[in-house]
Amino acid sequence: MTTLTTPKPTSACATRHAYRSFAGSTLALARREFRDALASRWFLLYTIAFSVLAIAVSFMSLAGSGSQGFAGFGRTTAGLLNLIMLVVPLMAIIAGSGTIAGERERGTLLYLLAQPISRAELLLGKYIGLAVALCCSMFVGFGLSAAVLAWRAGGAGLSSFFMLIVFTCGLSLSMLSIGVLLSVLSRRSGVANGLGLFAWLLLVFVSDLGLMAGTVLFKLRVQEVFAIAIINPLQAFKMGVIVNMNASLDVLGPVGMYASLTYGNALPWLLAAVIIGWIFMPLALALVMFTKRGGV
Amino acid sequence: MNTNHAILVALIATLALTRFAHAQTDAARSVDEIARLIEAASEGETVTIPAGRYEGNLRVSKPIVLDGHDAVIIDGLNNGTVVELTVPGITIRNLTIRGSGSTVDQEPAGIRAYDGPIIIEHNRFEEVYFGIDLRQSPDSIIRHNVVHGKDLELGRRGDGIRLWWSHGCQIHDNFVDGLRDMVFWYSEDLRIDRNRVVNSRYGLHFMYSHNTVLSENDLTENSVGIYLMYSNSITLRRNRIINNRGSSGYGIGLKDCDDITVEHNAILANRVGVYVDNSPSSFDSVGLIAHNSLSFNEIGLLATPITHNNVITANAFVENEEQVAVHGGGQLNNNVFAKDGFGNFWSSYAGFDLAGDGIGDSPYAPRNVFRDLLSREPNLRIFVHSPAQQAIELTARAFPDLNPEPMFEDPSPLTRPPTLDLFEPATTPSRAPMLAVACVLLLASGMGIWIAARQNSISVDIVQRSAQT
Repeated sequence: MTTLTTPKPTSACATRHAYRSFAGSTLALARREFRDALASRWFLLYTIAFSVLAIAVSFMSLAGSGSQGFAGFGRTTAGLLNLIMLVVPLMAIIAGSGTIAGERERGTLLYLLAQPISRAELLLGKYIGLAVALCCSMFVGFGLSAAVLAWRAGGAGLSSFFMLIVFTCGLSLSMLSIGVLLSVLSRRSGVANGLGLFAWLLLVFVSDLGLMAGTVLFKLRVQEVFAIAIINPLQAFKMGVIVNMNASLDVLGPVGMYASLTYGNALPWLLAAVIIGWIFMPLALALVMFTKRGGV
Repeated sequence: MNTNHAILVALIATLALTRFAHAQTDAARSVDEIARLIEAASEGETVTIPAGRYEGNLRVSKPIVLDGHDAVIIDGLNNGTVVELTVPGITIRNLTIRGSGSTVDQEPAGIRAYDGPIIIEHNRFEEVYFGIDLRQSPDSIIRHNVVHGKDLELGRRGDGIRLWWSHGCQIHDNFVDGLRDMVFWYSEDLRIDRNRVVNSRYGLHFMYSHNTVLSENDLTENSVGIYLMYSNSITLRRNRIINNRGSSGYGIGLKDCDDITVEHNAILANRVGVYVDNSPSSFDSVGLIAHNSLSFNEIGLLATPITHNNVITANAFVENEEQVAVHGGGQLNNNVFAKDGFGNFWSSYAGFDLAGDGIGDSPYAPRNVFRDLLSREPNLRIFVHSPAQQAIELTARAFPDLNPEPMFEDPSPLTRPPTLDLFEPATTPSRAPMLAVACVLLLASGMGIWIAARQNSISVDIVQRSAQT
């Protein structure tokens, strides 16, 4: 189906052919990666874990809400947020960190690089394949959660549910980038996974707890707290979801109020930009490291 | 040929005539025409205004019924009060009233009445500064009116419906969108039922107005749902108060009010569900908050530390970010959270019910180190909904000594939500779109897996090509 031969770029036509072939082989590699992910246990495990947790959270946050005269998605988000912020980064970072280092350790990287494909094609192909696998896995969870919502709560909150999915995909892509970067840097998959776990702990717990302590100790002002907090893609994700749900960050106290008043309608874009930055910068760095690096 | 021409000419003529006639009804007339009709009518008579659009300011000073049959527009041309009623006994019905002035010091309104009783019903107000303003017009009825305000920022708007020193009025089934308040000053013995107020400042606002029942009103997306100030003996029953999250953001605010009963209300997703500020203020008065759903708010019940003599029983506190908080810190020991051994339902209660009687075996006395931290360091609120918050709460659960003193205690918490008899909305949003989303998501992942699982993949390709070369 896809051609992997790289013709000599002698004419404009040939250049175009080479370009198409670049995309073609990247996509073919992506498919291979996706297939491998589906065949591996982590994909199955995460899909099942995420789906079960998403359904449980949807059920629990809707339990009794009907009898309280209020049905809708708003409150489910809070529960889903916590779940997503714990599970999705773990899933994405570990998926990324295993990829290159794993092939390297098994010796298959050598085999892949022996093929007529460039290192950039290889890395991008792997990244895209894993990204699609992650999104598929989460779509199962979100789909089942949406079914529960439709059944128990009707159609309220559709747009904020949609934005939650978009932001979650963004978050998982950024975490995958970090994982792939760690993978490129490590020789063994054990080291890569260890670094991945460390990065997860750092992003999910340590940075927030550290910033909390800093806020109290150094009496940081609201703009400082906000500026430092959104560096963390997880906080940017959380604020992005809440601002799409409530149109304002008043829920998040003085710092959230400051953000809403200062950035207004630009706030969701600012937060999305942070996440997009976290998708492309580690990936670009990984590409540079992987292509510059000689040997396997 | 000739006949054809004749038909054509006739057609054109008819068309032109009908257009002319149409333009005639469209052309604005002066309100003086209505004034002359009123002059000609005898007292108590029903005056039907011919369909059309009238411009100017109308003053009615004869007790008559003025009916527009939904075909009459009175346009004040953005100048002054559109319709003024100076005597009792007037009924205004089925009119569209639009374009009052907006000079703040003159408080121009759609309809202003100076004496009662009067009836204002089934009218539509557009682009008005104040909607309906009753001044010392007792025993009046305002019902089934729709009021849309001018596009002004919150601080510059006038009130949708205002009563000033008008006792015994009935205000029901009105809809107010985008004004300041529906406000009641010094008016007693009112009935306020089934009104809807949205996108305004205070949904229902009471100032020094006593002895009133407010029931089945729907107050959504205002700054505050119902704010009672210095008003005594008021019952709030079966109101729906949802998503009021403005700068105050209270579902219900009670400031220095005696003998207040709040029952069977759905108070949902507000910034603060019920805010009690020194109510009751007298020593011999009791406030009752019972059978309400206080759910999904940031804070369920917020009270100032001086608050006392409230009985809070048989409510459902479900999934509020903070179930109960004290404004400025302190304890709520002078209020009771159970009556006759019947407490409240708390979704965060983690006790058991061995006897199976629906009453928890241990009291509900929440102690939360993270909340305590938040009340001392408000900037930390940006970290709510994050795993770090849960980490802190988990730690505090493992080391209970870290926790602060509880601010109140419910001695007999309910283990099941009580039956609340809430006022339900007529329509609920359709579930089809959400179902569609579920299907699309599941299909997308299924398609992805199917495409990937098809046989010819790169591994095969690579092997084949390697073999060829």
